[in-house]
Amino acid sequence: MKDKQKEKRRASALPVLNEPCIELSGNREILIEGGRGVLEYTDEAVRVNTDSMILTVAGRGLNLKCISDSALIISGFITSLRFEA
Amino acid sequence: MLLKILRYCRGYVGFTVSGKYPERFLNITARKNIRLWDVQRKDDGFTACMYRSDYRRIRPYARGAGVRLRVGIKRGLPTVIGRYRGRVGLVIGACAFILAVFVMSLFIWSIDITGLDTVSRTRMLDDLRDHGLYIGAFKPAIDSGQVAREIMLEQKEIGWMAVNITGSYASVEIKEEAPAPEVEDISTPCNIKAKSDGQILRIEAMEGETKITEGSGVIKGQLIVSGVRTGEQGASRLVHAQARVYALTKREASFSVPAVSKSLVPNGETAVRKSLLLFGLRIPYRFGAVHSPYSVTSQVVRSPSPLGITLPVGVVNETVSALEYNECELDNNSAQELLTREAQLYEAFSLSDCTVEDREYTLDISDNVYTLHVTYTCVEDIAYQDPIGTDENTDLTPRIVPTEGDE
Repeated sequence: MKDKQKEKRRASALPVLNEPCIELSGNREILIEGGRGVLEYTDEAVRVNTDSMILTVAGRGLNLKCISDSALIISGFITSLRFEA
Repeated sequence: MLLKILRYCRGYVGFTVSGKYPERFLNITARKNIRLWDVQRKDDGFTACMYRSDYRRIRPYARGAGVRLRVGIKRGLPTVIGRYRGRVGLVIGACAFILAVFVMSLFIWSIDITGLDTVSRTRMLDDLRDHGLYIGAFKPAIDSGQVAREIMLEQKEIGWMAVNITGSYASVEIKEEAPAPEVEDISTPCNIKAKSDGQILRIEAMEGETKITEGSGVIKGQLIVSGVRTGEQGASRLVHAQARVYALTKREASFSVPAVSKSLVPNGETAVRKSLLLFGLRIPYRFGAVHSPYSVTSQVVRSPSPLGITLPVGVVNETVSALEYNECELDNNSAQELLTREAQLYEAFSLSDCTVEDREYTLDISDNVYTLHVTYTCVEDIAYQDPIGTDENTDLTPRIVPTEGDE
């Protein structure tokens, strides 16, 4: 009984662990963990590649506050987020 | 803030990336664990910052990404050190300055004393010096609490004292002891007697029986107001007599001065000595001396006092005036003038509690000494209290026990 519950839990957690983790601070800053690279970077939009989808952050005066292997922080006036499979 | 300090310590560069695919460059640097920050989009690329050490190894990656890099700014400690690497003197000077500031902060620079009323400032500074607190004293060796406690124990005039040392500035706060008010004895039985001969002008008796009438003469020690009161029924009791007795008195004083006197006077020769005052240390830099064996020295210390705080540096000017013995012979007029001045001083200080009605001066000379005899006619209070000699306010009335039939 317990083993079944553990399996269920593992099955539900695994897909989540593979997904990027996104954290928004209002509409001024966004932290994306698990990104695989920046595809496009302009003042109005930043497209970030994750394994499963492409995340587009649209807005005004967007800056890459910090970029490293594991995470990137985008600051500016964020107007929309779009997920493309 | 901490991040900024760390970045400054490691040193960083701000650079411009231009080329066809600047995003590629971003991805490569991220993959190689090179941290970028403050990335801002420009026309054909972007500007960003990275650590100085990382910038050295990104050139091949930039070439691979097909972008051009151009350094804009260089900031941080390594940059500053690199800039002044050739100037050893500057570095030594900076180190010496820091060291000097550190060393100087270990000493007392200024002492401020507040709350002094009757105790003189010079005496207090001397006391503080005796207990180790002075300009130029080594700060860690001073126990401010102990200094305050010891001075409070030694000086009875000081009721409370605190020594606060802030940086190199010592603030001494003092509250002087309030003297206990004199308690007037109004219970001990006493008489009022005359303390000198004189003629009574007026008697203001508050308590006791007056034995002398106004206008009569009294001799020293004579009873004026008695402390033994007799009631209407003949009963007597002892009281604390109180009275003011104003009388006309005569006082005599004489003042003398030798006709030929020898005194030390300045002969006009002066010399100036100067020294530099540096943290309690006096370094003389100008020497001067006079030929006479007798001299008098006046000293002026000039120290800068910005914001009311006297700094422990300054210049001490000493003026030495030579003195020599001068023999002068007095004539009648100058002797009279000199002795009259002395008599006036005597009158001002010794006869301050009486009104001088008249004074007579007589000058004579004998054995080369001028003597001025002065007779003062004064109006003064000649009353003094003389205790009767019992410890208690005894009722001297004989006790009469009422008997039956008495009305």
